[in-house]
Amino acid sequence: MTTMALGSLPGGFAWAFSCDFRLAWRNPGETVLVVAFFVLVASLFPLGVGADMRLLERIGPGVIWVCALLAAFLSLPAMFSSDYMDGSLEQMALSSHPMVGWVSGKIAAHWIMTGLPLTVLSPLLALQYGLEPDTLLVLAAALAIGTPVLSLLGAACSALTLGARGGGMLLALLALPLFVPILIFGAGAAQAQASGLSPSPHLSLLAAGLIVAAMGLPAAVCLAIRIALD
Amino acid sequence: MNWSYFSSPSTFYRLAGWLSPWFFALAAILTAVGLYYGFVVAPTDAQQGEVYRVIFIHVPAAWMSMFIYFVMAAYSAASLTFNTRLGAMMARALAPTGALFTFVALWTGAFWGRPTWGTYWAWDARMTSELVLLFLYFGFIALANAFEDPRRGDRAAALLALIGLVNLPIIYFSVHWWNTLHQGSTVKLTGTSMHVAMLTGMLLMAFAFWMYSIGAALTRVRSIILERERRARWARSL
Amino acid sequence: MNHGFYLWMSYGATAIAIAIEIATLAAGRARARRLIEEERDLEAQD
Repeated sequence: MTTMALGSLPGGFAWAFSCDFRLAWRNPGETVLVVAFFVLVASLFPLGVGADMRLLERIGPGVIWVCALLAAFLSLPAMFSSDYMDGSLEQMALSSHPMVGWVSGKIAAHWIMTGLPLTVLSPLLALQYGLEPDTLLVLAAALAIGTPVLSLLGAACSALTLGARGGGMLLALLALPLFVPILIFGAGAAQAQASGLSPSPHLSLLAAGLIVAAMGLPAAVCLAIRIALD
Repeated sequence: MNWSYFSSPSTFYRLAGWLSPWFFALAAILTAVGLYYGFVVAPTDAQQGEVYRVIFIHVPAAWMSMFIYFVMAAYSAASLTFNTRLGAMMARALAPTGALFTFVALWTGAFWGRPTWGTYWAWDARMTSELVLLFLYFGFIALANAFEDPRRGDRAAALLALIGLVNLPIIYFSVHWWNTLHQGSTVKLTGTSMHVAMLTGMLLMAFAFWMYSIGAALTRVRSIILERERRARWARSL
Repeated sequence: MNHGFYLWMSYGATAIAIAIEIATLAAGRARARRLIEEERDLEAQD
């Protein structure tokens, strides 16, 4: 463990972030799985639906967003569970770092390993669906703003279901309804751009959602972890 | 008056038992009067004919679905802040009734939509958010019951209810944000363009549903209290 | 489909749903009472 600025919020953030990031860097299996799933499922749709480019162009933003949602969801169970199982979550909670700091660090690391690769890959998939360059850009922007919110919401759901009966199904029941507004606004932004309307209302609402989520959810995740540890 | 007296489960058990029949009776009376207004007094609609009368269930149920969630979230906040058991039990007691009204709103909406818009379901903003609300209720109930320790379930579900509270403004404002199938709200705080008898019927039914919800929640919380507190002396001496 | 069908389906489903809820309320009460009985029996055994 690094002793970077013990007991401080940024210190805790940096410590948790670098810890998780290095772990993922050495064992990229999880990240690769997420990305591979994303690409695979997004490629399945044209195969199933047929190569009608106009149809693909219309459903493209929505399909890519749903794949992003599912791929983000896949990586949620692992966020806290291994630390919870081996007791290190309890250790971290008892440490002198403020909880909000290292929890935010973990969430940020999660986004870097899931949401960010998805956002970066989305233009490639968008080309598969024949989306116009401007739509493609809006889609990527929407994903860039929206996927952190997915990580934040997902972290809360993951922490709430630590050690619960029902496992993955319960997590899906909790997380996917909460994801829905992000999906609607995110896909809606790209669809608006594609039909010539302005995507800015959608993107602004997404950004507002990100701000609210970033301010409120880390504390909620901390509370959820405390509830799980009691 | 010492309000914390009522937050003891045994006291509240007796109070709820005394109150709940009154709420059910009130609900029954209001339903009778409301339906009278809805079917006898209110005239036939110029465009929709008789089928518009679904509104006397649909709109009150939708209002209840959101209102109950809000109250559930309030109890959840109180239970997390003050660490009371009763607050969490009330939230648990409200959830199934909230889910019921959400389902009724969706179902009656579908059967109103078919003859008027031509479709049982359309992915419009309000319907989708209402469906999400139904899943939020299910998630709350599932999470509350997912643990051996009921207190853990209480607290986890309470936090979930607060996180999901964001969905309510989205439902409420969705009709303004999107110009889709749902008309803009006809009943505003400043007045309404609806025929008086229709409005009266709707408000009466809304009150009826509200009274019923309170009665149901009080009844349900009594069962929850008994189950939780069954090892306490007062419970065994019942 | 005449409009009566839609009205009946709506009001009918609501009535059924409320009836089901009241039934579950009664079942919940019966279950709680049964658990209390069990606790009393356990206490009597001690």
